Amino acid sequence: MAREYGTNNWIDWCPGCGDFGIVSSVYRAFSELELEPKRTVVVSGIGCSGKMPHFIDVSGVHTLHGRAIPFATGIKMANPELEVIVNGGDGDLLGIGAGHFIALGRRNLDVLVMMHDNRVYGLTKGQAAPTLPRSTKTKALNTPSIQDAVEPLALALVSGYTHVARSFAMDSDHLKEAIKEGMEHEGAAFLNILQPCVTYNDIHTSDYFNERIEKLDDWDAEGVDPTEAINRSKILEEEIPLGLFYKDTETPSFEERISGQLPDYLEKVPAEQKIEENGKTILDQQAFKSKFRGNIIEKKK
Amino acid sequence: MTEKLNMILGGAQGSGLETTIQILSSAFASSGNGFLADREYYSNIKGRHSYAHAKVSSVEIPRSIDSEIDLLGCMDAETLFTHFQDIVKGGYLIYDASTGEKKQDSIKSIEDPLRKRLEESFEEMGIEGTVSSLVEYLKEEKDVEVIELDYPSILEDIQKEFDISSSQASRYVSSILIGAVSGLMGLEKDEVKKGIERKFEGKEKIAEQNMFLVKKVSEMVEDEHGSPLKLEGSGIDEDQLLMVNGNEITGMGKIAAGMRFQSYYPITPAADESFFIEQHASFDDGGNILVFQTEDELAAITSCIGSALTGTRSATATSGPGFALMVEGLGWAGINEVPIVITYYQRGGPSTGQPTRGSQDDLMNALYSSHGNFPRIVLVSGDHEEAFNDAVKAFNLAEKYQTPVIHLMDKFVANFVKTIPLPDISKVKIDRGELFDGEDYKRFKDGPISERAFLGSEVMWYTGSEHDAEGNVSEDPENRIKMHEKRMDKLKIADEEIDDRVIYFGPEDAEYLIVGWGSVKGVILDAMEDMDKDFGYLHFRCFSPFPFEEVSSYLEGREKVIAVEHSYSPRVSEVVSLNTGYQIENEVVKFTGRPIYRDELIDSLGNIIEGSNREVLKHGP
Repeated sequence: MAREYGTNNWIDWCPGCGDFGIVSSVYRAFSELELEPKRTVVVSGIGCSGKMPHFIDVSGVHTLHGRAIPFATGIKMANPELEVIVNGGDGDLLGIGAGHFIALGRRNLDVLVMMHDNRVYGLTKGQAAPTLPRSTKTKALNTPSIQDAVEPLALALVSGYTHVARSFAMDSDHLKEAIKEGMEHEGAAFLNILQPCVTYNDIHTSDYFNERIEKLDDWDAEGVDPTEAINRSKILEEEIPLGLFYKDTETPSFEERISGQLPDYLEKVPAEQKIEENGKTILDQQAFKSKFRGNIIEKKK
Repeated sequence: MTEKLNMILGGAQGSGLETTIQILSSAFASSGNGFLADREYYSNIKGRHSYAHAKVSSVEIPRSIDSEIDLLGCMDAETLFTHFQDIVKGGYLIYDASTGEKKQDSIKSIEDPLRKRLEESFEEMGIEGTVSSLVEYLKEEKDVEVIELDYPSILEDIQKEFDISSSQASRYVSSILIGAVSGLMGLEKDEVKKGIERKFEGKEKIAEQNMFLVKKVSEMVEDEHGSPLKLEGSGIDEDQLLMVNGNEITGMGKIAAGMRFQSYYPITPAADESFFIEQHASFDDGGNILVFQTEDELAAITSCIGSALTGTRSATATSGPGFALMVEGLGWAGINEVPIVITYYQRGGPSTGQPTRGSQDDLMNALYSSHGNFPRIVLVSGDHEEAFNDAVKAFNLAEKYQTPVIHLMDKFVANFVKTIPLPDISKVKIDRGELFDGEDYKRFKDGPISERAFLGSEVMWYTGSEHDAEGNVSEDPENRIKMHEKRMDKLKIADEEIDDRVIYFGPEDAEYLIVGWGSVKGVILDAMEDMDKDFGYLHFRCFSPFPFEEVSSYLEGREKVIAVEHSYSPRVSEVVSLNTGYQIENEVVKFTGRPIYRDELIDSLGNIIEGSNREVLKHGP
């Protein structure tokens, strides 16, 4: 029987929240991939999406606002044998955490970033998020937003992510497949998940998205360059394309780059190296002298 | 008979001074001497004035330096203008004769306030202000013996000798100074040669050319002046010495402690530690250390925490401005009971402050930064030996008490180059604390210290929110009390268990008690030794948990208690007062960012005994 990935915690998102669609797709994807709970780590930031780990029966690290990516980076680098998934909101990943978002792309570390994109900061009562288009006034805002929206896929593509896709929280089959593909990719994968915020975003509702969504058809994600992918992934007033826009399997992952410098990195991952024996360091006096011979001065005889 | 020598060697940043210091210090050490050098430099890559202020001793490893110097070695005119006043009567000066006509106003890198002070001095001295006039003055008025060398013509000779370009030859100025110093000190050529070969390993030609130059200059100097600065002493005992700065010895401690992950964002004076560890990241018989340069300090601490959650011994190294960004991560590690080590090298603040100068002004920042309350352990090291031991201890305490450890040092410890005996590695203990081995794991179960399992070995949850035993968010008031107490109680246990949080030097009932921590240790001990008054020194090694009983007992019954610190007003006095209620009423402070010199400390302690209660030290350019 397939494993269930739910926990006993009551899920306290608003009824109808897009996050329900996301977490249920995660359950299905994990189940189909048969992930071992203790070898899988879901890392999240702050906000509604930040609660994800508590609702999934794998290890979970609910971190700081904007910092899910660097936490995940440390976990993955120290133990590359773990499956590491980041969940963050639009404000979390592209507002307060934008620097880390770019850095992960530059590294191409084997992590999937799932961005919960409802265009508002829900948990603090609906302020404008970095993906809210300029001049939009949701019901929670005093005045229309005067900041332009950032295009998450374009930013991911110029930052170096090697797997870039968009899905929709309320299309569980599409999302489940997108999560699986992102996890199976070896390198930094970005999945932008559009979702409604039923409480604070009265403009970008499920209906709004459903009316505009067009699934990619006849698009060769592995055969295009990032510029073409940026153009194709662009959100237009009348059309929001969903699917995998870009995939690059040639660029070495961060793990491979580290192995280039520390050849036994993947055989002796940091988390599993032996560092002590009977309460003593494994570095003996002779090894210490040999390691630091450049600093040792012999007195003349 | 001379057993010790104080010297300053100076030149423009990027002109080869570092090479001079490395080669000479190697030669001093292999000749059987102890060596200690302060490095002073601007936040600048090339062109501004930089110098090493060193003490060499043939009988012991120096612990402090003196403001008065026996020898000034100048690579350029600015060095002479900046330091001439510190040459002791009858001291020695090495300078470039071709700079004779130079005046301070033609040297753009001299800062205006110094320019003004120089103008005033020259007027008082009645000289016109050229290098030659100043040299003449020093000869006549201060009996300084001058070693006058024409650097360009020496370089021209070597250019011809080896048929090299003039730009290549100009890089050999460092060896002129090496030659002159080794001549005056009568260093054996073989020892200098070893230093050169060590420095230019794999570059035989460059080593050979430098050696040629050194030999030539030292013979010139010996012929004319002899070797009046030859150190006469038995030499120090050790057959092998470690020549390290504080960044390096701390890196060695971390490596010995089994650290396998270090994150950092470039910052002075911490970055050299990460660079050093990276150079030693592979082990001969397998294994490796990840040294990870992050996009900012937010990522440095959070990636460090992530790594620590997998069971990897993890640390990050930074300075004040970087630590400011790490504070949110520190709090997360506190509430999640994550064993991380933050190596914190203080520099002058606030803000960018004095990025390349020393300070001890961040004690409160290390002790109290972060919102909310959680146990933290704060270790402080006063010299290279302490830095090594604390680097190891930091990981053991972090894992034993499952809480962040801040290892607080400063720019002086970071950049002081020192010869020390090799650490005894057999004494490096590793204690990984309570580890889980069972079923039905809950990360925060029982306590105060819960059993730790690593990500990858069990299913577990962490959250920066208040949480229950399983790591799930809980706002229940009783759970809050239970979990908050669980965490804070760890500090009580640590308070009962951690030894050696203060060290006391001097007679038990000394009339005058000096209180300090960190890099003031060496100069305090030397000053005490050289004063005929009855001094004791209470040296802090750990500020959290605060060693209440010991400190309280040491403070009692003294004629005077004096805090000595590199800060505007001693943080140690504030912390002692907060914890014990005792007000330390006297203080010797320095906040120029330059080290405290032995002689100025002696004078100021004398003034305190005479009735002053605040002495502000100012020496050092």
